[in-house]
Amino acid sequence: MIWRTTRLILVNEFRLLLHDHAALFMMFLAPVAIIAVAGFSLGNLYGVHPDRGGYLVALLDQDHGVVASTIRGALSHSPGIRVRPVASLAQARQLIINDERAPLALVIPAGTSATFAAGGKPAIELYIDPLKRLQAAAIQAQLAQIGRNLQIAAQARAQHQIDLRSAALRRRLEQLTADARATSIRADAYVRELKAAQKQARRRAQGAIRLQLSAVRTQTQTAIDRSVAQIKNTLASELSARQGAIDALTQYLRALQRSQAQFQSWLDRLKQLAGSHAGQIPPPPIWPAAPNAAQLAILSAPMKVPINAPVLPSVDDSFKLPVPHVKMPSPPPQAPALSDLVPANATLPGTVGWDTRPLISGLQVNSFDQYVPGFGITFLLIDMLWGVGVGLIDEREWGTLQRLRAGGAPVTGLMLGKLSARLLIGTFQMAVLFAVGRLLFGISLGHNPAMLLMPAAAIAFAAGAFGLLIACVARSRDAVLPIGSVAAMAMSAIGGCWWPLGFEPAWMRAVAMWMPTTWTMRAFNDLMIRGLPAPSALVPSAFTFALGLGYLIIGLLGAVRFYD
Amino acid sequence: MVEVTGLGKSFGSRRVLDEVSFSVRPGELVGLLGPNGAGKTTTLSILATVLNPDQGEVTIAGLDLATQRAAIRARLGLVPQSLALYPTLTARENLLLFARLRGATAREARRTCAEVLDEVGLTEHAQRTVGLLSGGMKRRLNLACALVHRPQVLLLDEPTVGVDPQSRERILSIIKELGQNGTAVLYCTHYMDEVERVCSRVVLIDHGRVVASGTTAELVGLAGARPRIELYFQSPPPRNWYLGLPEVSELTPAPSRNHSVLEFDSLPRVQELLNRAQAVGSVLEFTVHSPNLSDAFMALTGHQLRDEHESG
Repeated sequence: MIWRTTRLILVNEFRLLLHDHAALFMMFLAPVAIIAVAGFSLGNLYGVHPDRGGYLVALLDQDHGVVASTIRGALSHSPGIRVRPVASLAQARQLIINDERAPLALVIPAGTSATFAAGGKPAIELYIDPLKRLQAAAIQAQLAQIGRNLQIAAQARAQHQIDLRSAALRRRLEQLTADARATSIRADAYVRELKAAQKQARRRAQGAIRLQLSAVRTQTQTAIDRSVAQIKNTLASELSARQGAIDALTQYLRALQRSQAQFQSWLDRLKQLAGSHAGQIPPPPIWPAAPNAAQLAILSAPMKVPINAPVLPSVDDSFKLPVPHVKMPSPPPQAPALSDLVPANATLPGTVGWDTRPLISGLQVNSFDQYVPGFGITFLLIDMLWGVGVGLIDEREWGTLQRLRAGGAPVTGLMLGKLSARLLIGTFQMAVLFAVGRLLFGISLGHNPAMLLMPAAAIAFAAGAFGLLIACVARSRDAVLPIGSVAAMAMSAIGGCWWPLGFEPAWMRAVAMWMPTTWTMRAFNDLMIRGLPAPSALVPSAFTFALGLGYLIIGLLGAVRFYD
Repeated sequence: MVEVTGLGKSFGSRRVLDEVSFSVRPGELVGLLGPNGAGKTTTLSILATVLNPDQGEVTIAGLDLATQRAAIRARLGLVPQSLALYPTLTARENLLLFARLRGATAREARRTCAEVLDEVGLTEHAQRTVGLLSGGMKRRLNLACALVHRPQVLLLDEPTVGVDPQSRERILSIIKELGQNGTAVLYCTHYMDEVERVCSRVVLIDHGRVVASGTTAELVGLAGARPRIELYFQSPPPRNWYLGLPEVSELTPAPSRNHSVLEFDSLPRVQELLNRAQAVGSVLEFTVHSPNLSDAFMALTGHQLRDEHESG
């Protein structure tokens, strides 16, 4: 039931709106009219004036050079500014005092162009009427831009010369780079070939050496074996001779041992028998003769084994390592003379006092970029106040609310139906205002115009919920309008709909953070003026929606209590 | 069809309804009669499920108001005192909206709307914006909007306020016809003549309480109201000229000596009174007033039905 009610009420809201010419006027024509008035009135705050009959600038040219002519020409082509040459400072002062359209005089001293060309910082004098400081600020902004353009042009010329030389240098460098690259490629190939030959030579030499070594090893072994056999034979005969001597010696020693034993026995018997005459016993028998010295000398003589050096095979001196054949690449070309590569000096123009740049290039700030969304939001709030707040009270006074309730339509469904319709209507309203702003005032729609619908829908939702909230707070038609209007105007003003938020004091900016208008304007400004990408609108839109959700919850609670 | 028992409602410390009880049978047209502020609209709002009662029981078509509100709403039609219409929509658009909200399909809504427009005599004005319709047409459309779902019970709150005689006749005719078709009708008004013409029974309500209920005759009888005659003489008649006639008495002191207001027991005695008056003087003008609901109400409550009270 709640969704059916919501849908039917939504459609009915559209039908009611189509029959309500005053509401349509308030939604579409009134904001366009107010936007036009505000935009045209305050256009010079943004340095843009829609017509060419605007401010008058007194110009005293004592320079008569390129700087003066450039400034004069640029000012003449600036929208909303006309140049009035004067002969003296007194004449300029007179003009400023007498003419409301002349906020300042411009004095270009003699030698300005020369100083500028020489790289100096010439001083251009500005005489500002203190009563017209706001208007002068707009012209000052344009003068600053002209100064920047002047410097940019001079720099561009110098840059052009540098660019020409740089281009030639770049061409030479590119040629050298190409040559170096070719040489490098050839060197790389040479290195690769060299490595391959080296590898091949190493492999061949190793093979040859292995074969040669094997043959030498075999021959050497044979010679050694032969020599060892001769030594063995010699040793065997030597040992045999010494063995005979040793055998004889051995027999002698054994016989000696036996004789000694016999002698001892005999001596002992003799002494036994001799008794007291033992002392008279004659000397013992003579011992067998020991081997002669010559024989013993043989034993101690050094063994004379003729050890002849083996007859080693002769090494083939004709053995030569194979050398691989490698084709050497031609050497790289000779390096160019570096003196050719040094760029010539270029003369740079004078310096500038400041350098301000737009946050994002490509978008031109237009006062209507502020006023179309700003006043669009203001009228959206007021329209929602009428559509939801006053509409709800009207329905109660007409009795249709009672009839709908008696028909079983839930209050929540009625409110959601009304708010849904207003969400669509409000989004459409903003879309129409943007389209009109684009067609009539040339406003920027950013890089992604469709993305503007997101903050538009968010503020439409928040504004509808705000209308509901006001209807529950004020509770009568007489109260809704003043309370709601004051609240809507305050929200618009503090939220930066009528002027940039930066104009406001800090405390007011802090308050503004709690208003959906602030976040919506931030989203619109980011998309339209700053030209930020589409995702930049997500967070501000989410804040707007969240604040609207808060209003909706409070409003629904109040509506259920007050209207149910 | 409608049973109200011991209904009570307060707004803050103000007691608006106090022990209100009555009933309406199918096909019956019951008038809820009372001065402004008596509690008629509050009673209707409770029956229409727009307000919650503080006490009492209400059943409609056998359904309990406290627990079966949705089912009751489907059987109920409400004609509020104010013109509950969207002034910037056409008559047909208004009807279609309320029919669709009552659950009709688009085709059913178109068919029913055509029928109802015909019944209230607005077919030719179906495409006209409500704001451009006459007061009587708006009232008829107001009634039509309550009929688009063919309710079993119809609650009417001053449905003929500010209408021309033709529209009034049409509205009363439609209401009678609804009753004849079996719809239970509760008709809130302070127009006694309408109640007397349309309703078969009347519930008199004052200060949130039911003072009396019954047919008109029963109420008049209950109040003891008697017929009156007002006579204007060319010259002042003798004092107490009516003496001797039975059951005749002077009701109030006359505003002038040429003027007499007499109360008597029954209408057949009028001729007798006129004869006596002609005998004592020259009668320029006379008015006979038969006792009605207003007299009954005054007799029962002690004040006129059209006393100014705050709305209620």
